[in-house]
Amino acid sequence: MSTPEPVTVTIDGRDVQVPKGTGLVETALAAGIEIPVFCYEPRLGPAIGACRMCLVEVEGMPKVQAACVLSAQDGMVVSTAQSSSEAAEAQNATLEFILVNHPLDCPVCDKGGECPLQDLTFRWGPGASRMEFPKRTFEKPIPISPTIALDRERCILCYRCTRFSEAVAEDGQLIAENRGAASVIATFQDEPYRAPFSGNIIELCPVGALTSTQYRFEARPWEIQNVPTVCGMCPVGCNIHATTREGKVKRILSRNHPEIDQGWLCDKGRFAYAHVRARDRIADPLKRIGPRRYEDVSWDDALDEVERMLRNAGGRIVTALSGSETVESAYALAKLLRQGLGAHSAVLPEEVEPALDAFRAPLATIGDAEIVVVLGDEPVVERAPIVDLWIRAARRNGAQVLASADGERVRSSERVVLIWSGPGGEALPALAAGLGIADKPGSAAFHLPQTANGRGVADAWAAAGDADPENPEPIGLLIVSGDEAVANPAVRAMAEQAESVLAISMFRTPLIGWTDLVLPGTSYLERDGTYVNLEGRLQRLRRAVIPPGPDELAWLAKLAERFDVELSPYPSQVFAEISAIAYGGLDYGLVGEHASLPPPVEVGDVPKPKAAETAPGQGLRLIPYRPLFSGPAVERVPQLHFQRPGPEVELSPDDAQRLGVSSGQQVHVRSNGTSVELRARVSRDLAPGAVRVPAPHAADLGTHVEVST
Amino acid sequence: MTLAEQIREIAAGYPQSRSAVLPALRLAQEQHGWLSPDALREVADALDLTPAYCQSVASFYDMFHMKPVGRHLVEVCTNISCALVGAQQVLEAFESELGVKTGETTADGEVTLRALECAGGCGWGTVVAIDHRYREPVRAEDVPTIVSELHDA
Amino acid sequence: MPELALVLEGADDRDLTKLGEYRGVGGYRALDKARGMEPEAVVEELLTSNLRGRGGAFFPMGRKASFIPKPEDVPKPRYVVVNADESEPGTFKDREIMFRVPHRLIEGCLITAHSIRSQNVFIYIRGEYLAEFEVVRAALDEARDEGLFAGVTVVLHRGAGAYICGEESALLESLEGKRGQPRSRPPYPAVSGLYAAPTLINNVETVSTVPKVIELGGAEYAKIGAPPNSTGTRLFSLSGNVARGGNYELELGTSLNDLIFEIGGGIPEGRKLKAVIPGGSSVPVLTADEVDTPLEHDAMTERGSMLGSGAVIVIDDRCCMVQLGLRVAQFYMHESCGKCTPCREGTRWMVQLLHKIEDGRAEHEELDLLLSVCDRILGKCLCPLGDAAAMPIASYVSKFRDEFRVHIDGGGCPFGGEASLEGVMAPVDQHTHHPVAEVPA
Ligand SMILES: Cc1cc2nc3c(=O)[nH]c(=O)nc-3n(C[C@H](O)[C@H](O)[C@H](O)COP(=O)(O)O)c2cc1C
Ligand code: SF4
Ligand code: FES
Repeated sequence: MSTPEPVTVTIDGRDVQVPKGTGLVETALAAGIEIPVFCYEPRLGPAIGACRMCLVEVEGMPKVQAACVLSAQDGMVVSTAQSSSEAAEAQNATLEFILVNHPLDCPVCDKGGECPLQDLTFRWGPGASRMEFPKRTFEKPIPISPTIALDRERCILCYRCTRFSEAVAEDGQLIAENRGAASVIATFQDEPYRAPFSGNIIELCPVGALTSTQYRFEARPWEIQNVPTVCGMCPVGCNIHATTREGKVKRILSRNHPEIDQGWLCDKGRFAYAHVRARDRIADPLKRIGPRRYEDVSWDDALDEVERMLRNAGGRIVTALSGSETVESAYALAKLLRQGLGAHSAVLPEEVEPALDAFRAPLATIGDAEIVVVLGDEPVVERAPIVDLWIRAARRNGAQVLASADGERVRSSERVVLIWSGPGGEALPALAAGLGIADKPGSAAFHLPQTANGRGVADAWAAAGDADPENPEPIGLLIVSGDEAVANPAVRAMAEQAESVLAISMFRTPLIGWTDLVLPGTSYLERDGTYVNLEGRLQRLRRAVIPPGPDELAWLAKLAERFDVELSPYPSQVFAEISAIAYGGLDYGLVGEHASLPPPVEVGDVPKPKAAETAPGQGLRLIPYRPLFSGPAVERVPQLHFQRPGPEVELSPDDAQRLGVSSGQQVHVRSNGTSVELRARVSRDLAPGAVRVPAPHAADLGTHVEVST
Repeated sequence: MTLAEQIREIAAGYPQSRSAVLPALRLAQEQHGWLSPDALREVADALDLTPAYCQSVASFYDMFHMKPVGRHLVEVCTNISCALVGAQQVLEAFESELGVKTGETTADGEVTLRALECAGGCGWGTVVAIDHRYREPVRAEDVPTIVSELHDA
Repeated sequence: MPELALVLEGADDRDLTKLGEYRGVGGYRALDKARGMEPEAVVEELLTSNLRGRGGAFFPMGRKASFIPKPEDVPKPRYVVVNADESEPGTFKDREIMFRVPHRLIEGCLITAHSIRSQNVFIYIRGEYLAEFEVVRAALDEARDEGLFAGVTVVLHRGAGAYICGEESALLESLEGKRGQPRSRPPYPAVSGLYAAPTLINNVETVSTVPKVIELGGAEYAKIGAPPNSTGTRLFSLSGNVARGGNYELELGTSLNDLIFEIGGGIPEGRKLKAVIPGGSSVPVLTADEVDTPLEHDAMTERGSMLGSGAVIVIDDRCCMVQLGLRVAQFYMHESCGKCTPCREGTRWMVQLLHKIEDGRAEHEELDLLLSVCDRILGKCLCPLGDAAAMPIASYVSKFRDEFRVHIDGGGCPFGGEASLEGVMAPVDQHTHHPVAEVPA
């Protein structure tokens, strides 16, 4: 793709050079001139020119023109409101019309203080209203979902929200209803707006019409701080601002990283933050004193107890990691165990093949691909939601989205992106190498792992010592690190075999009865440190709020002293140690706030893919998957419960037809002598021969199932 | 043919199936009497759209009924050409004959009375559309006959 | 000047809805002639004829056709779209064409398709026109069965009640199955129209004139009417307070006075002419003194008005101009699509102000405010609907300012409840979801 020729545009008498075709709003900005906009938002697709806030005069064109729909052409002469009285009059006209029916409830509006309409009114608006009729009134505010409130009176009908729903998330749920002055933003029959990216409309809304039910009336803009950090809810690692007030997280906003998230967040990342104040959050260490009874103990006592447990286990220690630990805390734990106790065994989160680093590229690469191949069993949106948006963008840009990498077209295309969603990603590097992805600019291969920092944790674990011996028999001590590990049934099974169990966890409820000692865990919002996302990008977590007790790194450092292991409590120092081994000495400071992606490494030995092991069985292969809206954090945020998938089974169109099943029908799914009743959904992106069920509804079903009506 | 099959057949006549939304909604309305939530869902399923999308489109157009209406529809044009020659008197005659206000449906659910923007019969005003069949010109004194015909139908 | 039937030719004597009858008056011969010509030559004839759009904007059809890129330059389908959404208040001519000479329309479609090498024609007919839909459908079936289409497909698509869908870009949106909201232009339909492909969109009457242009040749056609700018005939829709309302096909240049008083039989009941709306509800009004104007483009422009859709609405002395303004404003408020701010908010505000003036509760400043609101809509909207609302209202105020003043000074309508539009119910008032002009008592 060649860069367009530069052109010169004159704006308010100032000459500015921009590439031909640059939007006029951006061109003006390059000249240091702001053209006010409401409906214009380039991320939502072509400009629609609806709000008429951006009217300017353009030499040679009759009437005033909407700048947002124009682009820079050589020799263009533009006068904005700053130099043209006609443009100024037009702008005032629009502002007056917007305000004609906009309530003046700024003092009680959540947007107040950070509202473009308020700012423009302050700067340009009329001193007094000439409109003295009753304004349009609506019932206010109405919940359009448990997470989002809509105040129709404040809506200025810029259609940003509905365009997001239609043209970015493509969920088709949020709509404009009726016509003319009666138009309102709505959902089908007032049902909740239930879609994984719904929360973005709150940030898109330029007024206080769409607000977060969690944030409503929680803070005023001058009382808050926005802490730049990274979301820890999935392996994408969207860049976020955590808004805090008086030591509490009040909301999560996007902090646009154009290569990763383009300023979008999924609803889990946006709304699940409230888990940090969950009712069953553990503030003090807990020691078991009866089968299901625990008592609070002091940190000193707790660390004594941990020391005792570690020594008693005599090296027969297994550590189950969550993949949500920071690189630094995972390394600290590993160093302590490996160097202090010679204990090497770990249950690591789902692995990302390091060989993929040869095909590394920003996620944004997907958007410009010609062909996107989506492999693996699980829905992309459930594993790495933003990747789903990138795939949709690619399709809108003309890419073909395929479910198989076979075929000449894939081989010969210049820009191919492979995406593996689900287990089995070991096969990906060989596939990518076979297609020559490393040598095709604009191509990439991504594995979407299950956890937010699985890659970083694996790096850290490897950096702290040598390869693992066999698992100890019997297990003396099982260390369960983090809530995801706590929730993992395999870990629970292991705990049954272990002589003692130490858990590090935020929440109390799931620990009762099978753990001997519990240390309070922290959330990603409470930590400093590093995460490695699915691209292989190192990103900085910043502490937005103080955890209830010392964080993992702090107490691990203390504990390490007792075993003569040198360990700093400061992430920067710990990182330096790991970096020297695993990240080529990259400086902690350089991980920075807008982290860049390290260049791809040379293609080395690509592991031979193991022959795909399909467990033999009769009937349809069952794919249980972990839904996006599940897990310990989501469970603790009631506003998100409506997003959890229902008891549903997805069937391919072929199988559905063969079985005479249609969407919405109740069906029986059987195996292993178990039977569950689920609602059928016919899903085009599922290949025949398999059915998909959200893990929480898969009960004890085996690998293969029968489906009947 | 089921509604879905009829809709898909119409859709096949267009380069892009979404173009069939208006005809599909019209068919669904004919079969359901109005665009009930179920009717919207059926159209959405047949055209691979969301019900919300269909609601958004349908609510834009005056001829789609988002609420139940009577079995018969009486529409009186009250735009300027008809109004200049007495449309309001015709409308009021219908109100009193039918015993409803404009915009309402008779208690027996038989007839809905509406005012209409320009029906395109201005030279022969007042235009009245009875179930989309135009009568022109209609004068207030013609109304009782029209209403009794309606009751007989 | 007399009536001259070109578009409606033969329809008084025969039932031209029948293909055989239509052939009997020479029907479909122009199609044969055109198909024997190079497409570019057909466009050339259209250019020479200076046939201008009959939908309202009066843009030369040949020019528009010449903007359509060649297949070798843009490898996409090219579409012909016929605008049969006729909804401009006062206008009912396309309906008459479809009802009486559907084959002439179809012949025009096929010639037009040939002129831009198009294989696909869409006729977007307003949903309310049920009888006309049935007639055109039957005619299409006949023509198709006779093999006249020669590979071209013609889709007859019904609208569903929205004036804005007559605006060409809104029509295209609607035809694509969306809400009928206009698109921002450029790009124009000739470049990116239906399904983002090159599209030629013309009014029913324009397209139905095409066979005549081909039959006579562009140069001959251009001699009819008031050349050079207003060639040919138009169907004028005459309505309102006139004895013989209806459609009259006249040479362009006929005097408005003749249309009203000779052809239309004048004002009934010995009433006096007060005003005329010469081109559909969206054009500026003319006073009784201005009816000597010829019905052609240049003269109308000089008068500060337009021929628009050719709808002549005659208004007698029982009409209160404030009530007229209110009813017109209510129409545009009802029909505003809601996409752009000035139109959506401005039309509603206009209705509120006009209500207040009519009720005699307004101050003089509010008359200026009304004009200012009109001015703040004019030229600032996404599509011309906003202008269509603002222009007529502003003209009522400026040409009948005294009448508006009397309402203010006298605390109410001087007609004392006897005006012709007194209390007329507008659809916008009957929708509960239209939170309209509630005026405080
Ligand atoms: C608000 C609005 C309504 C319109 N309604 C119609 C209509 O009902 N019929 C029509 O032919 N043109 C209508 N037009 C004009 C069309 O946009 C377009 O100019 C016309 O169809 C082009 O055809 P022509 O060049 O043959 O006139 C309307 C324009 C506007 C702005
Ligand atoms: S709710 Fe907000 S984003 Fe949506 S149309 Fe209204 S003002 Fe725009
Ligand atoms: S920003 Fe240009 S019209 Fe809204």
